[in-house]
Amino acid sequence: MKGSTSKRLAKLQKEGLTTLFPESTKIMVGSASCGIAAGADAVLQAITAEVKKKKMDAVVQKVGCIGLCYLEPLVDIIIPGRPRLTYGNVTPEKAKELVAAAKKGKVLEGALGKITAEPFLIEGTARDYNGTAGGVDDVPLYAELPFYRKQNRIALRNCGFIDPENITEYIAKGGYQSLASVLEKSSPGRIASDVERAGLRGRGGAGFPTGRKWKICLSARSDEKYLICNADEGDPGAYMDRSILEGDPHAVIEGMLIGGYAIGATRGFIYVRDEYPLAIERLEKALEQVREHGLVGEKILGSSFNFDITISRGAGAFVCGEETALIKSIEGDCGEPRQRPPFPAESGLWGKPTIINNVETLATVPVIAAKGAKWFSSIGTDGSKGSKVFSLVGNVNNIGLVEVPMGTTLRDIIFDIGGGIPNNRAFKAVQTGGPSGGCIPESLIDLPVDYDALTKSGSIMGSGGLIVMDEKTCMVDVAKYFLEFLESESCGKCTPCRVGVKRMREILTDICEGKAELEDLTRLEDMAGLINDSALCALGRTAPNPVLSTLKYFKDEYLAHILLKKCPAGVCKDLITFSVDKKTCIGCGACKKACPADAVTGEKKKAHKINTKKCIKCGACREVCPVSAVLT
Amino acid sequence: MITITIDGKAVTVPEGTTILEAAQQTGIWIPTLCHHESLTPYGGCRLCAVEVAGDNGTQIVSACTFAAVNGLVVETATERVLNIRKFIIELLLAEAPQAKVLQDMAQALGVVQPQRFTPRNELCIACGQCVRACREIVGVSAVDFANRGYERIAAAPFFQRSEDCIGCGTCVAVCPTGAITMRDIAEGEKATVPDGETLEGPARIMDNWKVGFKMKRCTKCGEPFAPEFQLEQISKKVSLPDDFFDVCRQCRM
Repeated sequence: MKGSTSKRLAKLQKEGLTTLFPESTKIMVGSASCGIAAGADAVLQAITAEVKKKKMDAVVQKVGCIGLCYLEPLVDIIIPGRPRLTYGNVTPEKAKELVAAAKKGKVLEGALGKITAEPFLIEGTARDYNGTAGGVDDVPLYAELPFYRKQNRIALRNCGFIDPENITEYIAKGGYQSLASVLEKSSPGRIASDVERAGLRGRGGAGFPTGRKWKICLSARSDEKYLICNADEGDPGAYMDRSILEGDPHAVIEGMLIGGYAIGATRGFIYVRDEYPLAIERLEKALEQVREHGLVGEKILGSSFNFDITISRGAGAFVCGEETALIKSIEGDCGEPRQRPPFPAESGLWGKPTIINNVETLATVPVIAAKGAKWFSSIGTDGSKGSKVFSLVGNVNNIGLVEVPMGTTLRDIIFDIGGGIPNNRAFKAVQTGGPSGGCIPESLIDLPVDYDALTKSGSIMGSGGLIVMDEKTCMVDVAKYFLEFLESESCGKCTPCRVGVKRMREILTDICEGKAELEDLTRLEDMAGLINDSALCALGRTAPNPVLSTLKYFKDEYLAHILLKKCPAGVCKDLITFSVDKKTCIGCGACKKACPADAVTGEKKKAHKINTKKCIKCGACREVCPVSAVLT
Repeated sequence: MITITIDGKAVTVPEGTTILEAAQQTGIWIPTLCHHESLTPYGGCRLCAVEVAGDNGTQIVSACTFAAVNGLVVETATERVLNIRKFIIELLLAEAPQAKVLQDMAQALGVVQPQRFTPRNELCIACGQCVRACREIVGVSAVDFANRGYERIAAAPFFQRSEDCIGCGTCVAVCPTGAITMRDIAEGEKATVPDGETLEGPARIMDNWKVGFKMKRCTKCGEPFAPEFQLEQISKKVSLPDDFFDVCRQCRM
């Protein structure tokens, strides 16, 4: 590193450390979209007002999401001489109490966890909080919490700790050191090789080796090349990329700079959907900061590398996550895919060689550059290296964002990290890979998170959405849901996707309404194979996957719908009638209160009845019944 | 020049030639619906599916958009390919059962009218030939696709009266299913533009684009010969004598 550059980074690092570890008390409010949706803004306001009122010497900061989304709003407090403590479900009132206690140097009971030493992943060190003051012995260490025990946070290394709007804090945690050292010591070919040897595969879903992709583009001859960050995250229930962009935008920018250098690009684009306003806002601020500090633009960090980054906002069409459609959208055309080849690495944006990497992939790159291929490839399985971020949602207790080493089993994620299924219900399936993925049944729950193992099961790794489903989920209805989603997100360019997926969905609707025949199942399988073979882009080709995987593992449910005209999970309205089991009913009246159609009658402490003529089959009674006496 | 193999036959073609063009040169028939030799390849209907050998076995591609590379091996009539073509026609037949081009294609491919799906009876099969013709040949871009997915359809902006259509009828000529209608209204007759005004003949109405035109009469023979708006637009683009369009083509010769 040139002397002036290293001095400049060292100065910023020092500056960042003063706000990361202030001498005064520090209060951090989880202010990613998940936190804000749960009321973090009001909590932040209450804290700021209280700190002001009490004339307290404290730093109050917004941070990203630490992953415990189900406990938002989350507040972290660092009182000098004490470990970092995290509180969940914080209300403005509770926040005031936290401030009042902190003012006295005390801690409130009920902290979820503590961190005694802050890890610095890039530098491979940790900074001790010197938490000698007592009173927090009964608070578990983060590393011991079931939610965190099996996690390994690489892409999420800074989320929930640094202020995403302050570049010096990112630099303080080793940020932009990787870029500086790559620019100084490495060549484009070498860094591409390093990433290839590390075994990093694309985190957007397809899992193509990132380093190999870079090499293809590096060897393409062109006066100009582009690197695009694909932040068009659109799978239902998936929010990994949003969380990274909101919690640590500089990690993605540094990854882009290293990637841009590796492929010989001069311009980068971040294609991000407009539904992510906060991610866009933080990215814009981050770009302003890197520009100010000479980390983008010409002669970056004193090297001969020139690279600039532009944000390109998408209108939220799901298909724009597909590379060729995404390129069309940046070019200003309607986001529709075209046939590959030519692949974007040869002919992409405006006909120039273009690499498209996913947010999480790029956020991982600086760590590989810093710690080396060997370190990264020591984590994970034979074919899948490193860690993967998942958004764990659906019928699971601990809804949140988790990052686990590849090879972790689905059981570990759902039952240890996720805390199992709520309401004492049984686990039925987990959907991975979004609409292009599939549903994995209980019999395969010990499957490791691994690109190849998940593909073999009939699902895919996908971008990281994990939707957990309990026994009250109808798998035909799930397949129908995903097909409806794809039907409305199809661009309509090619026949198999435009018409074929719609016709498959019609058959599923018929099954759910009890109007289908047995041969419709063969028809669905045939159509699935043909659409998979003939559709223009990956959206269409993978559209039948939810149907195929549910047919493979839950065929009995399809058969029950078709042959017995019954929905075993009690979801498909046309096939169910609500009734109360007289023997189980305790006559509490909860169902009567919950029914919006006045269909429930009965006296207290006596078995209730449902008038099927009035019943609108909304299921409210079943939801509230404490003894599961409502039958379908 | 590159050499590729189609159905076992070696064909030598210039670089950049598509599989479809190479096949046509060899006299091998590949059915198409969205393709037109005067328009940019589109690859939408997928009827021209063929099987090409790749690194990991064979793969299905659309012949109209796939540029051949030296040594490429193509099969155009395998069972896999034929099943896809039948499937495409079955799907489209349920969309536009009355379209003759689809009926003929169904016969050629041995497809019987599928019973499973409720016919839609919408003639537009979203092949996009009108859109490309209007943009690439006429240079007017009066129409494009509206909506997405199953609702995708060629239309004038916002489904309102087209402000740019010049009533040339190129879209009508390229449309394979007859989904676009152009009506010439004779003198003394009246007709209404969809969602629009009633015109007295001689006039021309483009129903799909909701626009009607008064026809220009030839000062020599008195016959109506082209929409007035079209002639105005052409005159703006090409420098012609002011009275050039006073007479029709026949009378000028």
